[in-house]
Amino acid sequence: MNSRKNFIIGTAVLALLLTACSSSSKDVSTAKKITFPTEDLTLNISWWGEQEAPGATKWLEETMALYHKEHPNVTMKQVLQTTEGLVPAFEAAAAAGAGPDIQYFWGGIYAQQPGWDGHIAPISDYLDAEELSHYINAGVEEGYQGKIWTAPWYVNPSFPLLVRKDILEKNGLTTPANWDELMKVCDVLSKKKITTIAGGVKDGWFGGWIYSILGGQSVQSQKDVINAVVGNTSFTDPEHAGWWVKLAESKTHKCWNDDINSLELYQAQQRFVDGKAAMTITAGPDAPNFAKKAGGDSNVTIMAMPAWSDGPMAGKMGTTSQTLGITKWSKYPQVAADFIKFGHTAERLNAWYKLTGSMPADDRFDLTQVESQSTKALFESAISGAPYLENFIPAQLDAEAVFKNVQLILKGSVTPEAAAADMQAQMERLRKTDRKLVDNFTAWSK
Amino acid sequence: MLKQASTVGARNGRPRTISAGQQALKWISPAGIVLIFVFGYSLISLFTQSFRYDGKWVAFENFTLVLTDPLFQTALKHNFYLLFTVPVMVFLAFLLAVTLFETRRGMSFYRAAVFLPYVLPIPVVAVVFGQIYQLRGALNIFLTAIGLDGFAQDWLGEPKIALGTMASVILWKEVGFGVILLLAHIISLPSEVFEASRIDGAGFFRVHWSITRPQIMNTIVFFSVIEAITMVSWVFNYVYVMSNGLGGPGDSTLVSELYIYRSAFSNKAPELAAAAAVCLFLCTLLLVVAFFRIQRRSISGTFGR
Repeated sequence: MNSRKNFIIGTAVLALLLTACSSSSKDVSTAKKITFPTEDLTLNISWWGEQEAPGATKWLEETMALYHKEHPNVTMKQVLQTTEGLVPAFEAAAAAGAGPDIQYFWGGIYAQQPGWDGHIAPISDYLDAEELSHYINAGVEEGYQGKIWTAPWYVNPSFPLLVRKDILEKNGLTTPANWDELMKVCDVLSKKKITTIAGGVKDGWFGGWIYSILGGQSVQSQKDVINAVVGNTSFTDPEHAGWWVKLAESKTHKCWNDDINSLELYQAQQRFVDGKAAMTITAGPDAPNFAKKAGGDSNVTIMAMPAWSDGPMAGKMGTTSQTLGITKWSKYPQVAADFIKFGHTAERLNAWYKLTGSMPADDRFDLTQVESQSTKALFESAISGAPYLENFIPAQLDAEAVFKNVQLILKGSVTPEAAAADMQAQMERLRKTDRKLVDNFTAWSK
Repeated sequence: MLKQASTVGARNGRPRTISAGQQALKWISPAGIVLIFVFGYSLISLFTQSFRYDGKWVAFENFTLVLTDPLFQTALKHNFYLLFTVPVMVFLAFLLAVTLFETRRGMSFYRAAVFLPYVLPIPVVAVVFGQIYQLRGALNIFLTAIGLDGFAQDWLGEPKIALGTMASVILWKEVGFGVILLLAHIISLPSEVFEASRIDGAGFFRVHWSITRPQIMNTIVFFSVIEAITMVSWVFNYVYVMSNGLGGPGDSTLVSELYIYRSAFSNKAPELAAAAAVCLFLCTLLLVVAFFRIQRRSISGTFGR
């Protein structure tokens, strides 16, 4: 009996020691505004790669090299993450209290949540308000109780519909100006076995895009969505549920490729470039590249999703910025902030556009150098765009209600009413499981 | 089991007797210590976390939330459905093993061919099958080419059949393991029994159903339990890669491991992940205990004790 007791005590002591060790590693310095270090140091950047902005890798490598030239004691290293692995990899690093100094985040909730969880230091602690005021979308998406969590890097007009004029003209059609016209285009093309809009929802993400570009049309602002999140309104209310009906309608009119459920988003988009689909929806930064591959301005119209509602955001391009944050455990947050600021110098902003064809998230970027009229219009629409809705709901709701039900609606497996009810049920459940959610979202909306 | 005792030393002039159980304990204690060292902390941490939220003790609240979560119930249900793959897998493995046993020429080649899927990395298998099973994938192209286009399906995109499709991939990959296990046992059996039964006029099926099967029952049970554990707690890789981490379409391929992973890393709810993991651990433990009971009974039966 004694030996058993000793064993239990021994195990408990061991567990306590290990727990103590792991928690002590999480205690990082909160000192701010210290002098720029002169010793040799390495900064690690964990980011998503150039999936939506080809050329971004070259820009980052150039920027790291140039920064090293200016600050020879600072060496930069980059680690690439996949789409599915981006959030989990950061969460794992946060749980260990060690990892990159600079982390790439999508905007809105994806940058807010790490801030709420205490995994990142507000960028506004290291960059002054005047500098941050130029960073597009910083206030709306990354602002929280007077602070700004992360620094926007490049703008993602969210999400443009790309229309091939050649396919429409060949079939006696014109670019649809509203939802009803779009449905008519779908009717005509589907009869000729031509895909109207190429998409892929197997990996889910496209579901979130569709939610934002359709669901955004019937709400007044992102605060309506936050109200539904915290429980003041319901996701079954008409302003939140109407888009499910429109999505189902697009399925009825055979707007989408019939294999949309077995394709990933990027696989499907290729059909637009190959001339096998009249339209597709792409990431904003990549839209100019897609347009160029499909014949440029003369053949491709880049536009917002045709309006089905008369809400203030209907027919308007959404806008979000992909951002960079400084991790709480970084030993050199001021250097990380300085590097981020370095990426916003005029030369680096221009280099970003030259290398990627997309827009840096900075209103100091000189738009006169953009030659393509459609690209210029896209950039301008993003500067004054509507809030990107997907970034204002919990990521879990996005994955477990939006992604899921978009797949099911497009397969014809659920009704719009059932999809809306499921979204509401998931939200109610989420309020129980995430016991800080209501407080966090309420504070964010103020 | 026979109780044995040995005299290993003397104290106060009297010999000290150690029972067989104590002796066994001595022999397995080094391995036991290593196991406790490796898994002990993880398990204690897991159980502790499952009863806490934000560092505070919440009793069974996390378990209540997890067990009442329709998603977790769906995930468990899918794991349960996957268990039905096990008898099919065992039957196929047995059939292939006896066929290979009877194959006189090229046995090594066929054996390697059958075993190959098992050694392929799961992500590779999942990616390849993900392509094959697309609506415009190789399988449907083949079916259409041979005039069976009526059977063409959106194998991974249709919620009603996606789990079955995934099960077929798991079955394809895992059956090779069973074949090698069973074949190794069959080869080691004394050939006289087979010869005698054939002289008595037993055909292929009679020989292997009535002679081979009972003799390799231990291995069949072992394989069955290993695969049952696989279906309950080891199919994450297949599902993650083939459904892009979603368990879709909808939640048609969601399994408990993916639920745990998503809770822990995507949904930032480690306490719910811990509670779900404890549930899964207990389910797996049940299977392991069942396995040892069956194995013990089977050994007792074999040796007539």
